[in-house]
Amino acid sequence: MSSRSRITEEEINELISKLQSLLPDQARRRGSSRASATKVLKETCNYIKSLHREVDDLSDRLSDLMASMDSDSPQAEILRNLLRS
Amino acid sequence: MAIPNSENGDSAAMVRGGRKRKRRDAAPEPGHRSFSTWRTESIEKRYSSKLLEALRRIRNDAAEPRGNGAVRDAADRALAVAARGRSRWSRAILSRRAIKLRAVRRRRQRGMGELPRSLPHPIERRRRRRRSELVQKKAEELGRLVPGCRKVSLPALLEETSDYIAALEMQIRAMSVIADAVSTAGGSSVGLPDRSGSPSTG
Repeated sequence: MSSRSRITEEEINELISKLQSLLPDQARRRGSSRASATKVLKETCNYIKSLHREVDDLSDRLSDLMASMDSDSPQAEILRNLLRS
Repeated sequence: MAIPNSENGDSAAMVRGGRKRKRRDAAPEPGHRSFSTWRTESIEKRYSSKLLEALRRIRNDAAEPRGNGAVRDAADRALAVAARGRSRWSRAILSRRAIKLRAVRRRRQRGMGELPRSLPHPIERRRRRRRSELVQKKAEELGRLVPGCRKVSLPALLEETSDYIAALEMQIRAMSVIADAVSTAGGSSVGLPDRSGSPSTG
């Protein structure tokens, strides 16, 4: 017998439910109290991918901003202030 | 929000068979704090400072190729550091670079390349067949998206995912504030945007 207790269907459903509550409202359009586990997992994958894309876009944006900055520009000063506050 | 935790599981196991269930993972479950931890202003500030330090280093280091990957990398590592070792995904991100560097070094030494690839443990496959094939397939896809979670059990995966999503949302909030502040500064001489207007709440 494994040292880990068998995970019950109920526990899985609870976790899936909790995961569902983290998804943005669009993913819960039908307002169903219990969407299927498969659907929630699929929506979660899509959501994480969209979050990754956002982080990528922001990284690109910051990269471009930094490239156009030199040490004396106001942007550099803003960065320094942000660091101090 | 009530989340099933290991303590309850321990006592339940003890009632069932009188056997003490060994806590396999000493670190606290990441799911416990998902909502509150990543939404506090202090963690966002802490994250922003770390990221800004890294950005300055990138900017000042002329030797580093100015690719966009550097910023994304720095943002992810700062996020993993902010997690303070409490989650699997964060530990995976921090060891990511170390693994890549070791592999590159080994490749150079041997003169041929092959990055180490981990195969799923055979026992894992047996256990999987008990659950719906479709659920398992989707769970595998999710495991590929969350760092370091390709081989974890489904409950652990779901816990890690909750924490990871909350962390990513914080990362986006923090990076947006920084990007807006810097780009605003470029356009005018006005100071920082009012932080109370930002979407993050305590």
